[in-house]
Amino acid sequence: MECVLRPCRAEDCAEVVRMIKELAEFEKLPDQVEISDQVLREDGFANNPFYRCLVAEVPPEHRSRDGHTVVGYGLYFFTYSTWKGRNIYMEDLYVMPEFRGKGIGKKLMSKIAEIGVENRCSQMKFVVLDWNRAAIDFYQGHGAVDLTAAEGWHFFHLEGDALKQLARGQLGQ
Amino acid sequence: RGDSSSFIPQCDFCPDRLGLIHSITFFFTLAINSQVLILDLLEDGFGEHPFYHCLIAEVPKEGQIGSSCIVGYAMYYFTYDPWIGKLLYLEDFYVMEPYRGLGIGSEILKRLSQIAIKTNCSCMHFLVVIWNKPSIEYYVRRGALDLSTEEGWHLFRIDKENLLRMASGE
Repeated sequence: MECVLRPCRAEDCAEVVRMIKELAEFEKLPDQVEISDQVLREDGFANNPFYRCLVAEVPPEHRSRDGHTVVGYGLYFFTYSTWKGRNIYMEDLYVMPEFRGKGIGKKLMSKIAEIGVENRCSQMKFVVLDWNRAAIDFYQGHGAVDLTAAEGWHFFHLEGDALKQLARGQLGQ
Repeated sequence: RGDSSSFIPQCDFCPDRLGLIHSITFFFTLAINSQVLILDLLEDGFGEHPFYHCLIAEVPKEGQIGSSCIVGYAMYYFTYDPWIGKLLYLEDFYVMEPYRGLGIGSEILKRLSQIAIKTNCSCMHFLVVIWNKPSIEYYVRRGALDLSTEEGWHLFRIDKENLLRMASGE
């Protein structure tokens, strides 16, 4: 199935908010979502945006059961480390359940990794809930390291060769 | 010494820009053996799109009028939580050992809280290693909450009520 990744536009924010809420439901914390379409728009399309977002879109003939063509998103921003300089932080990665298993999540993540490399980032970091075995397996399959198990935090990072490989669309070691 | 500490916010407001940049570079190499090139540090902090901001704590040098030395710093940036919006993320927070216990750290946290509120951040986030008991106690005492124990992540956040409290110096 053809799926296009593109930067989120201001008019996509309503769809992104819909998917943010779906992800929060999955994470069993739906009551914590306070964001609105308007705030997301203001914060993402200001002079110095506070986040960046990619959306995954399918053609109209493959739209979801509820009629959506925007079926996934990756929300990220740049962070900084005194140790390694620029990092790319993947805050949300989500694909609607009926579109999973088609490589869309991997495409989103690869694109974010690519953006990281283009911007001189040395690491990608993100958090995962400790019971989300499927996500942990997915990320470890791409060379991600669990820093919590190793050092006492719960952040995952992708760095150096594993990151570059992901940016090239290859599996990490 | 503690009484005469002053705080220079990010470079925009500092008259001695070069001095501040050199001091930040010094701290980045002091705190950890940084792998960041100095040119990258300068561009990333003081270029068109800053990736980080710094608060510096300095005290006057004894016996040298008009001269000061840097004794602490905080490095922070803004992150985003799609559920609640902008956050202030505290990446580094450091006071040189001879200058601890003088309230410099508390003053830095207070200024940071003020910045967070002024910029409409919902809260301040930071990471602490779970076996670092003195640090955990330091932050919990100031109203910080361990999100990892409650929900399964390992993050600390400081909420609006405690941010306001810290900003007002309580």
